[in-house]
Amino acid sequence: MSTDRIIQFELARLNVHLPERQITLKEALSSPAPHVVARDGSKHKFERGELEFLKEIVPPSDWDSLRLPILIVINPKLGRGAAEIAGRPEVEVVSSVLKKEARGDEMVIYRPEVAVLRAKLPTTTQYLFMVG
Amino acid sequence: MAKAVGITPTRMELLRLRQRVALAQKGHDLLREKMDALVIEFFGIVRRIRDARVKAMRRLEAAYHALSLCFALQGTIETHQAAREARKELVVDISTRHVMGILVPVFDVRPIERHALARGYSLYATSSALDEASREFEKVLGGLLKLAELEEGARVIALELEKTKRRVNALKYVILPGLKAMVKFISMRLDEMERENFSRLKRIKAMLEARE
Repeated sequence: MSTDRIIQFELARLNVHLPERQITLKEALSSPAPHVVARDGSKHKFERGELEFLKEIVPPSDWDSLRLPILIVINPKLGRGAAEIAGRPEVEVVSSVLKKEARGDEMVIYRPEVAVLRAKLPTTTQYLFMVG
Repeated sequence: MAKAVGITPTRMELLRLRQRVALAQKGHDLLREKMDALVIEFFGIVRRIRDARVKAMRRLEAAYHALSLCFALQGTIETHQAAREARKELVVDISTRHVMGILVPVFDVRPIERHALARGYSLYATSSALDEASREFEKVLGGLLKLAELEEGARVIALELEKTKRRVNALKYVILPGLKAMVKFISMRLDEMERENFSRLKRIKAMLEARE
């Protein structure tokens, strides 16, 4: 395999863990075994404790609009170690976890904050690598 | 010189190489980001392992203490006999969670602590010290399974981290410098050819002028 094909293969493999379809917090809470199916067909299970935590910090009116898993968008254009969170309910959750003020529907967080977020929500957050 | 490098110094090749450099650079940047994220995951899981291990060791200490008391109060042979009689069943639901393309196991353990009557040994022939020791060991088991889950997670993340690091280094120190050297070589060769052409044209022009 040429190096180009190896690189293309690695880039294609970067996002195989992403779900085919995100589910809302409401759907996850009502499911006996909350999970999403990844692009490679495997299951990604959400921890009940995390869902309960999200239930406490998200107002009930947003349970329908908060889509899980929350995507931490890694875009090399933002610079090394920077990540982006998109969507109003998602930004509110992240700002509440990090105790950081949020403005608008998008938020940029940095590596130490990503570590805190992943430690707090290991199954309900996932990385998305911007390949295109 | 072109033959020594093994590439044809054409504009087409230069364009193709520039595309390859862009792809390799993008691959390097993204894989480096993945490596950084894996490091975060790895240290997070190591921290959790440390806490889980401390907790498990503390519980094991209590459980072995209770077992020693049981040996002393009830007798070693009787305790071993009761252990052979006990029901050895554990329901574990094993599922997975994804960490950047790596499948990490998740053990969902149903409550392990059982009622004395459900353990299977004779209550008539055993003392309460055995019940206490059994309860302590049942408490330990959940923690040990959690620890196993975390250690397996750390192992698979470490393997992926090693693989990603090797690729990032290969791109950074071998592929990208090689491609950039080729781009530089072709650019220089094309410039040289252009200069040759220019001087050739000037020479022809001078010859034509001299003839006239």
